[in-house]
Amino acid sequence: MNHDPFHWGRPSADTYGEYNYNIAHASNADRSTSTNSEFPRMHTQQPMITGTSVIAIKYNDGIVMAADHMGSFGSLMKLDDLQRIIPVGKSAAVGISGDISDFQYLERLLDDLEIEDSYDMESDNLKADYLSEYLTRVMYNRRSKMNPLWNAIIVAGFDGKGELVLKHVDLLGVSYSSPTLATGFGNHLAIPLLRKKVDSEEDVKKLSKEDAIQTVKDCMKVLFYRDARSWNKYSLCVIEKSTQSIEIEKDVAVEGMRWDFAQHITGYGIPQL
Amino acid sequence: MPSIALLTAYAIEAIKQGSAAVGLVSKTHVVLAALKRNAEELGSYQKKIIKVDDHMGVALAGLAPDARILSNYLRQQAMSSKMVFNRPLSLSKAVHSIADKAQENTQSAGGRPYGVGLLVAGYDDSGAHLYEFLPSGSVLEYVGAAIGARSQAAKTFMERKLEDFPDASKEQLIEYALTALRDTLAQDKELNSANTTVAVVGVDQDFTVYDDDDVEPWLNLLDSLANTRNTALKEEDDDEDDDDNDGDKAASAEGQTATAPAAGAGDSSDSGTQPSAESESMDVDP
Amino acid sequence: MTSIGTGYDLSNSVFSPDGRNFQVEYASKAVENAGTSIGIKCKDGIVLATEKIVSSKLLAPGKNKKIQTIDRHVGVVYSGLIPDGRHFVNRGRDEAQSFKSLYKEPMGLEGLISRLGYYVQAYTCYNSVRPFGINAIVGGVDDSGAHLYMVEPSGVYWGYMGAATGKGRQAAKAELEKLDLPNISCKDAVKEAARIIHLVHEDNKDKDYELEISWVSTEETGGVHKFVPADLLEEAKKYAEEEAEGGSDSDSGSDSDSDEEME
Repeated sequence: MNHDPFHWGRPSADTYGEYNYNIAHASNADRSTSTNSEFPRMHTQQPMITGTSVIAIKYNDGIVMAADHMGSFGSLMKLDDLQRIIPVGKSAAVGISGDISDFQYLERLLDDLEIEDSYDMESDNLKADYLSEYLTRVMYNRRSKMNPLWNAIIVAGFDGKGELVLKHVDLLGVSYSSPTLATGFGNHLAIPLLRKKVDSEEDVKKLSKEDAIQTVKDCMKVLFYRDARSWNKYSLCVIEKSTQSIEIEKDVAVEGMRWDFAQHITGYGIPQL
Repeated sequence: MPSIALLTAYAIEAIKQGSAAVGLVSKTHVVLAALKRNAEELGSYQKKIIKVDDHMGVALAGLAPDARILSNYLRQQAMSSKMVFNRPLSLSKAVHSIADKAQENTQSAGGRPYGVGLLVAGYDDSGAHLYEFLPSGSVLEYVGAAIGARSQAAKTFMERKLEDFPDASKEQLIEYALTALRDTLAQDKELNSANTTVAVVGVDQDFTVYDDDDVEPWLNLLDSLANTRNTALKEEDDDEDDDDNDGDKAASAEGQTATAPAAGAGDSSDSGTQPSAESESMDVDP
Repeated sequence: MTSIGTGYDLSNSVFSPDGRNFQVEYASKAVENAGTSIGIKCKDGIVLATEKIVSSKLLAPGKNKKIQTIDRHVGVVYSGLIPDGRHFVNRGRDEAQSFKSLYKEPMGLEGLISRLGYYVQAYTCYNSVRPFGINAIVGGVDDSGAHLYMVEPSGVYWGYMGAATGKGRQAAKAELEKLDLPNISCKDAVKEAARIIHLVHEDNKDKDYELEISWVSTEETGGVHKFVPADLLEEAKKYAEEEAEGGSDSDSGSDSDSDEEME
């Protein structure tokens, strides 16, 4: 969906009077007309500091997920050491893209959930399927208040029976599952590559852990090449069903890059030598 | 005005006025069985077992309206757990949520404690569970529990058979529960399909209540529907009876002494002269 | 207590002529006969232990845990009315949660116990409520190290190196004093805790009990409150029983204990 209110159409001027274009701006400070009471209440209209794609793929004994370490402020690289895949409890890892302040809010929400879960000192009840449902409810409630958390989330881990869970939740409160998942630009750049390896649940059985990791690494490289808001340092999360383990490796670097072609590129504003 | 602490003690007495309910746990199942009363012969029998969710339910002894308030609260908790987490409410969370409600009423004035005891049975991620809830806010997990009139008799039976429960099948467990319930009967009473209610929940088994015709097959598991213990007690004279008697009297001292001056094996009138807590008169056998 | 029956003991918030609040004193009575609980402050954390009297054969073994968690790094054990203890713990959790939502970091032990002290004290001030019928031992590890406190029904709290409450508190205190506190390690304290609970239970031998031990240790649990692992609990129980048998002549037994601690 396109989140730009200008694309949503507008009430006819004949019936409702001239459209107030200020409505589409995040702030009503500079509006030309009238008082607060006449102006609709506004919430976040765009994210500020953002994290780009999270990608994930299922393999025959687990899931591999990755997200880079950058926080962008528009086209400015504001943060370069931002871990966006976080472990939650013993059975889940959550990868979050989109607004970073909302990500930090979610991080705290999940931490509170973890503490509440620790009240039961004998068992770990925070399974990945419960978490994804919880996050879906949070996202849906917020969007229903017209005040969404500007994120897309991938939840990966195990359910109560130790089976794999891989779910995508977005700012509208929509959730779905697939053997390959991505958020943001990854949906356009990584998904086709991931689906080459795994197109259906059937293909999952044929993909080994090593191949899955390699595929995800290749995708992170393509994303770094082509997504201007991405970075060459990322977290790699490997989930293994047979050992019920979740490991998150930080500061993985994109390898084997070749930029020598860049000197031949012309026509992007800066005169090329 | 009596102190709040005293009121709590009185509330626990209200449970003893209610007809008995028993619960038993195996590794895979939990069974509840309870004795229903009807206020008059043409009246319906008071519901004793309330389903809360597919995986849990309660049996009550004491003030039925209070039990409805509590079970309704449990239903809300269960629905909210399903809604927010898509997770069946854990039994321990459930019982402690009502325990905390009940505790409030024991520490501050302005309300009265709940006048009902509950046996909460269910099956969740951590297996089969049976809890006893009391108006004091006390909640304890049992392998076998009984509340209500003459429940000590059922407890005595269960203590004796304790080792058999963990590996019992669903059917065996129901048989044990009904036998325990039978032990709480007054001398001239029998279990029948009208006054007996059974519920079971466990692995791949949603909480199911059996009443009326549906309970008949379970009653057929028993060799006798009358309280064999009553007749047996008269014949046997070993220590065991004495223990039973003592237990009965000790446990329900206040409830019983008013009406029954140490009449035999605690099988004296079912507090018939006292106003019944479930607003019913004594059991009437059809 | 000559004032019993004069009416001054019926209501909370009323002082007797000699300046006592009887409701608070009665609440302490509820604690005096309850199962014993102890807390030990160690060099790397704290250890909590409690004696759980098994009042019925029908109680599910190993369930009905009494030690509770307020926050990741804070544990509680109490003697007295268990429902009151749960109320107390719920309040502690609320305090820790609201602190964290405001300051985005875990609540310190000093701050937490101070808030809980206020809360418990408030229940001695009004005739619409009764005091808490518990003595709660609260312990944990924060930025400034290990802390152990005990709150009483009056709302008063003190910091301790070794705390004991419940029926066997006198004997337990005597044993705690013999330990090398707070230089003992959590691992050793677990064994000593088991020994002390086992020892003070002797007076109450006709009733069975279950032993519960938890710890918060920088060395053993990464500063998180947890029950001690099953194998360590078994080891501690064995140690407790051996000590009880070997040292029924308590002097020799306790001597060897303190020797061990010194090393």
